[in-house]
Amino acid sequence: MEGLKKEVVMNDHKLTLEQLSTKYSVDLTKGLSPKEAQEILTREGPNTLTPPPTTPEWVKFCKQLFGGFSILLWIGAILCFMAYGIQMYFSEHATRDNLYLGIVLAVVVVTTGCFSYYQEAKSSRIMESFKSMVPQKALVIRDGEKMQINAQNVVVGDLVEVKGGDRIPADIRLISAEGCKVDNSSLTGESEPQTRSPDFTHENPLETQNICFFSTNCVQGTARGIVIATGDSTMMGRIATLTSGLAAGKTPIAREIEHFIHLITSVAIFLGVVFFGISIILGYGWLEAVIFLIGIIVANVPEGLLATVTVCLTLTAKRMARKNCLVKNLEAVETLGSTSTICSDKTGTLTQNRMTVAHLWFDKTIYKADTSEEQIGKTFAKSSDTWFILAGIAGLCNRAEFKAAQETLPIAKRATAGDASESALLKFIEQYYSSVKEMREKNPKVAEIPFNSTNKYQMSIHLREDSSQDHVLMMKGAPERILEFCSSYMLNGHEYPIDDEMKEAFQNAYLELGGLGERVLGFCFLNLPKTFSKGFKFNTDKINFPMNNLCFVGLISMIDPPRAAVPDAVGKCRNAGIKVIMVTGDHPITAKAIARGVGIISEGAKIEEDITAQLKVPNSQINNREVKAIVVHGSELKDLSSEQLDNILQSHREIVFARTSPQQKLIIVEGCQRLGAIVAVTGDGVNDSPALKKADIGIAMGIAGSDVSKEAADMILLDDNFASIVTGVEEGRLIFDNLKKSIAYTLTSNIPEITPFLLFIILSIPLPLGTITILCIDLGTDMVPAISLAYESAESDIMKRAPRNPKTDNLVNHRLIGMAYGQIGVIQALAGFFTYFVILAENGFKPLDLLGIRLNWENRYLNDLEDSYGQQWTFEQRKVVEFTCQTAFFVSIVVVQWSDLIICKTRRNSVFQQGMKNKILIFGLLEETLLAAFLSYTPGMDVALRMYPLKIFWWLCATPYSLLIFIYDEIRKFTIRRHPGGWLESETYY
Amino acid sequence: MRRQLRSRRAPAFPHSYRYRLDDQDEVNQNYLADEEEEAEEEARVMLVPDLEEEEEEEEGEKEEKKEEEEGQGQPTGNTWWWKLQIMNEYLWDPEKRMFLARTGLILVIYFFFYASLAAVITLCVYTLFLNISPYMPTFTEKVKPPGVMIRPFAHSLNFNFNVSEPDTWQHYVISLNGFLQGYNDSLQEEMNVDCPPGQYFIQDANEDEDKKACQFKRSFLKNCSGLDDPTFGYSTGQPCILLKMNRIVGFRPELGDPVKVSCKVQRGDENDIRSINYYPESASFDLRYYPYYGKLTHVNYTSPLVAMHFTDVVKNQAVPVQCQLKGKGIINDVINDRFVGRVIFTLNIET
Repeated sequence: MEGLKKEVVMNDHKLTLEQLSTKYSVDLTKGLSPKEAQEILTREGPNTLTPPPTTPEWVKFCKQLFGGFSILLWIGAILCFMAYGIQMYFSEHATRDNLYLGIVLAVVVVTTGCFSYYQEAKSSRIMESFKSMVPQKALVIRDGEKMQINAQNVVVGDLVEVKGGDRIPADIRLISAEGCKVDNSSLTGESEPQTRSPDFTHENPLETQNICFFSTNCVQGTARGIVIATGDSTMMGRIATLTSGLAAGKTPIAREIEHFIHLITSVAIFLGVVFFGISIILGYGWLEAVIFLIGIIVANVPEGLLATVTVCLTLTAKRMARKNCLVKNLEAVETLGSTSTICSDKTGTLTQNRMTVAHLWFDKTIYKADTSEEQIGKTFAKSSDTWFILAGIAGLCNRAEFKAAQETLPIAKRATAGDASESALLKFIEQYYSSVKEMREKNPKVAEIPFNSTNKYQMSIHLREDSSQDHVLMMKGAPERILEFCSSYMLNGHEYPIDDEMKEAFQNAYLELGGLGERVLGFCFLNLPKTFSKGFKFNTDKINFPMNNLCFVGLISMIDPPRAAVPDAVGKCRNAGIKVIMVTGDHPITAKAIARGVGIISEGAKIEEDITAQLKVPNSQINNREVKAIVVHGSELKDLSSEQLDNILQSHREIVFARTSPQQKLIIVEGCQRLGAIVAVTGDGVNDSPALKKADIGIAMGIAGSDVSKEAADMILLDDNFASIVTGVEEGRLIFDNLKKSIAYTLTSNIPEITPFLLFIILSIPLPLGTITILCIDLGTDMVPAISLAYESAESDIMKRAPRNPKTDNLVNHRLIGMAYGQIGVIQALAGFFTYFVILAENGFKPLDLLGIRLNWENRYLNDLEDSYGQQWTFEQRKVVEFTCQTAFFVSIVVVQWSDLIICKTRRNSVFQQGMKNKILIFGLLEETLLAAFLSYTPGMDVALRMYPLKIFWWLCATPYSLLIFIYDEIRKFTIRRHPGGWLESETYY
Repeated sequence: MRRQLRSRRAPAFPHSYRYRLDDQDEVNQNYLADEEEEAEEEARVMLVPDLEEEEEEEEGEKEEKKEEEEGQGQPTGNTWWWKLQIMNEYLWDPEKRMFLARTGLILVIYFFFYASLAAVITLCVYTLFLNISPYMPTFTEKVKPPGVMIRPFAHSLNFNFNVSEPDTWQHYVISLNGFLQGYNDSLQEEMNVDCPPGQYFIQDANEDEDKKACQFKRSFLKNCSGLDDPTFGYSTGQPCILLKMNRIVGFRPELGDPVKVSCKVQRGDENDIRSINYYPESASFDLRYYPYYGKLTHVNYTSPLVAMHFTDVVKNQAVPVQCQLKGKGIINDVINDRFVGRVIFTLNIET
């Protein structure tokens, strides 16, 4: 694994053709013989990527069944079965309660497991639909014959030929190329197609021109080369292997749930052991005490919480999917909310991945073109004559054209054939000037010299529109080369000789546009004299026409512009305390320009470029506050120790990493994680996928993203829009807050559920709340209200506060437990017991006479038990009273849970500030009440669930307590608002 | 935020563990450092003028830390020592000379909280007692219709005994004797009044006045009184079983139609029981024993009994017997409750 993280060592690009031929023992013209190829194929295996080991469905299912929270319930269920077993073994009249409880627990876990499995299977089905299943073909030359074979049969040493539009079938060392350009964006993140030639131009195999990489695309031209690696040993294969080898860590919410389980288990065991001791002291047999111990531990398990949490997360996931964030893993829903650092790829995520004309320079003025995605609106000095000429050159001296049948699409969205910059020009002229097609028809091309990397210009000669006899020579190319051809320049439609002033203006404009990270092209023309009138045979090999003293017209610069919504989104992330780091494979200048454009580097921030100098100076001498922004080059990053990297990450708020390799992206993510940050990584290319996998949450692009990246990611932006991340952050933070509320609500009713059993043991009173009624609360009445809290709106602007500190700001902390168990829960328990005592007293059993009655009460042969009035009760009769009490206790809990729900709506605000706008919550209140009434009053419930109808007065017993809870908590929250940071807040604000 | 505050004040706490904790935090803090936070920090300092409170806060965090530490569960021995130190510190903070610093205050607060809750519940229960009559239960419908119970009661409703082995039935005799002590004629004559039979013994005095009770003498039970046959027939294989109806405050059987008792074989051959003698011979509960006014005022109330003398029962076989109450307003066929208006027991008399 560590080996894979290292940079790839490759030297094939340094070899001469002869050495290459020897190394792979292949004839550079005829290729391998089919027999050799077959031998190599059997030896090396097919040219395919080993698919990442897919987890079998049943393993996924089991993960849902036994992961995280489920474990708690399983342990509970097992304890129940154990207790039932013990009871069965030692007593004939064992109650089945423990058996039922165990079964219900198991059913809950399995149902919830199935539910979340189904949810995740749904998202992965959407994933499946992304995969393209088209088999790849490759053109190989074997024994001098060209043949089309399946790409998977390509072997090392094969001579292959690629042309524009092909996908490169393997890693290839070129031996010849004609105007070949490849799109490496999925591998390196460079948005511009890269020229490919047989020449060795760079030490780094990724940057040298003579190597094409597996699964990148050839945009134009043709090339021939020798296959130097296939399948998993290709550059792409290594990245894919690295990705699938990385273990994704636990999601923050999983860690939170673990912490919660620890807390709840400690409480359960503590209570269990204490009451085990007490029951031994009270003289119960050890067997009974063990049953009590198990009972108490199990009673602490919040049966409904697993389902509640799952449903809450699912609801949020659905809400996010509607906003174009598809979440693959349910737990990842919350992760974005905890994110403190976003490492974003540039190409395709922050930018549109589409060259667009950004600026024009003519008449000594820089004009800004509209780079927004819609391409409508803003105009510039269109009336200048210079503009007409410039537009003419840009449209005519241009080989790109629109693909057929797209007239209905907006110009910016139309597909083009040709080089990215030429396409950009084509679209620009079409948009702002006139139809390029008509223009070309009126000014037919008679000769041209295409662009190549040696002459760095492109020239074409056209017939002039106005006089059908004359020709005009047009040229575009690298600005400095173009200027060399010129002796005059155009200003407002008139020619002037070039002077120093103009040269200076040109230099300034060129530098300025270049500094913006834009690719600049110069344009010039020459009206050819009459001697070259119509019919003249132009020879572009032996130039037989003048190519000097041209007239310089202007510059046009292009860039892959940032998406419109990105600067705003970055700003929002900033406000939300999230650090946005750009990590790109592109050049530092472009990266810096885009970073400035989208606000990753804020306006006016001082950028530090030379980090090595900084590292030599002792740390203390640098004022970190002064240098906030830094651009780190991949080659520098390579030499940094992890401490130095940490230092950079820590001391700069605005960081851009340029020219990074996939491995380095991974190192950066690890660096951030080492510093305790929760890292989100966005990316679309294969090069991003290791980082995507390693990140706490990997975010891939749904449209432009590669399959590998989608596979590695946890979340997919269906609209490729970085701004959707902000939605994700917002939703994630909201669900974290709301889960807290939901858990606080659910846990509170645990106390009125446990205390009856405890008092049953200690005071030997008839059991005030039975297992069935507890389950009715946990899985019945509490469910919808708890879920409804997921719909609660935020109390304050959650996008204006810093991300939570994963170490201290836990989902469930001792304050929440203290509030739920120690305070509200106790009031609730009192409400229940009050109702219980009222009913028993009204029926003849006064509270004091109940103490110690348990043994007689439970004796089924004792059918004349005396009450406080001397009346005698049969076993069944008093059981009916007992179950009526349990029903009433249950109803009391519902009544106090009304106010608990209302107080849990907010953690700091008053309900009167927050309002009751949450319709689902109101529905929840009604639903729990109706359900309670239904359970109590439906005929037949006495047989089915042993729940009995109650007198209306008994519903009212708990209302004072309900009111008390509400008033108490309003006062508490009022004090917290009045004294922020005060003692009460630090003790009770969860 | 808070952590930064603390780290700045760290030198005041010369304990090595704290430095270690702070170092970790510093990393985090710087990492997340933000300008807004600085402003916030100042605001907070102003808002928390009370150092004492701040101290408390820290204690809380410390505990939290401890929990986290446990959660991570680093298995080095060093950590254990470290934890022990924290624990020690937590219990007794030498700096502040406070025992259980945080817990102490919390306990006090909780004490007051629970004390007020106790006051609330006491108030509620007090109101409850104000609203409940000590003489008459608020509701009696749950205890109606009356249940039935038999004596001797020996934690089982199977009467298995061998006539020739007194050990197997002696405890029934003892039980019956004990039960009938309260019915001794002398006692009844001394305590209770002899009221006219065939009509309710209604005492319409004030609720809180003591009520008189009607006599039910042991001698009413004749052969089953244990006076003539001290073994209640068990020694001859003709056992006596006493049946009583559960007391219910205010319960009155239908006028003119006293509740009768009748027993028969529950399942099986009707002829397994050839004869039963009932005492009193009417096999009924006379109306004069009703109504019952409750324990508080009706102190000497004696429940009327009906004795069943199974004079001729098939021997050496279990005979299930069902004794039912009969009369208007009496329900004796509740499926769920086999003791309402009836009682089922088995006789297995061996010879």
